[in-house]
Amino acid sequence: MRLGFVALSDVAPLVAAKLLEFGHRHGLTLELSRQPSWAAVRDKLLAGEIDAAHSLYGLVYGVQLGLGGPQADMAVLMVLNRNGQAITLSNRLAAAVQEAGSLKAALAEWPGMPVFGQTFPTGTHAMWLYYWLAAQGVHPLRDIESVVIPPPQTVDALVQGRLDGFCAGEPWNAVAEARGAGVTAVVSSEIWPDHPEKVLACRRDFVERNPQAARALVKTMLEACRWVDTPEHRVEIAPWLARPEVLDVPVAWVEPRLSGRYEGAQFLRQPRAVSFFDGGAVNYPRLSDGCWFLAQYRRWGLLRTGDAASDVTLAAQINQTALYREAAASCEVSVPDEIRIDVLCDGQRWGGSAAVPG
Amino acid sequence: MLRVLLVTDTDKPIGDMREALARLGYEMLPELGAPQMLHGRVESDRPDVVIIDTESPSRDTLEQLAVMNETAPRPVLMFSADPNQQLIRAAVDAGVTAYLVEGLDVGRFTPILEVALARFAHEEKLRQRLVKAEAELADRKLIDRAKRLLMDRRKMSEQDAYATLRKRAMDQGVKLVEVARQLISVADLLG
Repeated sequence: MRLGFVALSDVAPLVAAKLLEFGHRHGLTLELSRQPSWAAVRDKLLAGEIDAAHSLYGLVYGVQLGLGGPQADMAVLMVLNRNGQAITLSNRLAAAVQEAGSLKAALAEWPGMPVFGQTFPTGTHAMWLYYWLAAQGVHPLRDIESVVIPPPQTVDALVQGRLDGFCAGEPWNAVAEARGAGVTAVVSSEIWPDHPEKVLACRRDFVERNPQAARALVKTMLEACRWVDTPEHRVEIAPWLARPEVLDVPVAWVEPRLSGRYEGAQFLRQPRAVSFFDGGAVNYPRLSDGCWFLAQYRRWGLLRTGDAASDVTLAAQINQTALYREAAASCEVSVPDEIRIDVLCDGQRWGGSAAVPG
Repeated sequence: MLRVLLVTDTDKPIGDMREALARLGYEMLPELGAPQMLHGRVESDRPDVVIIDTESPSRDTLEQLAVMNETAPRPVLMFSADPNQQLIRAAVDAGVTAYLVEGLDVGRFTPILEVALARFAHEEKLRQRLVKAEAELADRKLIDRAKRLLMDRRKMSEQDAYATLRKRAMDQGVKLVEVARQLISVADLLG
């Protein structure tokens, strides 16, 4: 089975699954295929060149809706991780924020339009960035310019002054700090504690045609997520992630944040480490998580149709909860409650309005 | 003349493609200094076609432009040395504008460019038709609402209500939907 991925630290479960061949027990041999862009992940999933992928949660929903690109029926098999993303500000903007007292005040005095990078128009990083800006009274579509920059290029763009900030996964925020290009202003767990991030995605017809293989893949990845989640195994996997064929950066820029150590920086709230398993709490593809992305697309005008009720229906088509439950049961992984209420950085509670009775 | 932006940020050889396309009569926009400039250049230079490699990491930048800006150039044409033609064809069928150009033979490239553009123009026309149909539907709803207002409040028949609206439109020399809009906003104001 061919799995696509993009160069990010949270690809750790896939790398572990391949390295230790967790698939063999379930009759699967995995082949990993690094992709240069999320668009390439999408195109190759649609073309059948890869069977499944490490994917941004929002990418799956964007393709399902056909936002700005081809439309296809998609499936989320499971969540691969929570947390582990961040927003970096250029040194200049970080200093301006300190001086002005707030981001809004700093941006108001900023010469020209501030430019922020993110990784995909419907992706998680765009949504974390927009949410965080809006929570501080900065309109992400009017007050700043938002551009997509491939994560490995964000640091160069910051150095050259083409970006004033960006939101991306690790190790790229750590790399920006290590190269002295910017500072991590906020980690994603401060925006939404334990937010869903990457998912295991495939085309829906793949699940329909190969339910056995899909279930075997979920079991394989659940075991890989469980393995990689322990502190010792994070340290063990880091050098493998750092290798040229995965991230191609020094291991010293990968391991600390993968292990949950955010050194040197001061944060309002203690950053929560990227989490791959947490007793199975991470991996269940909860419908309300999918609904959150749909609600955000509507908030920012990317989606003009549907409502909270139709969102639940759509999420139930995409997120393969029944298949996940079967796989989890056979791996003896407990499934968390369907309903989870979170408080986000702007004080809003989210439980998926229509998904929560009462 | 077609304005073409060639993005060359992978290590695949493009040979004399730039010169060859220029000879074929395309206006070749200056190359990007850095991949990060792609966003700004597409916005400022407004190319008709962006030719970009399937393996280019900058492709997501074009995705953003397609989502945020309906007039962004969508016919993203990709060249690839990937020998698997079938996969490329599947991608094209799925709506991904991707083409295989073996050895980047520019002679074979021109028809592909034209096809991509024709396809984009076709999709654009469909999109505009949809926008127009949606607007017409919204207009009809407004006119219906205005008609119902007159029927409810002035106890008019449907025919009389329609005739009243039409006469007002004629007298004022405006569209029927404008009259409907005025009537509804006044009614809203008076409650």
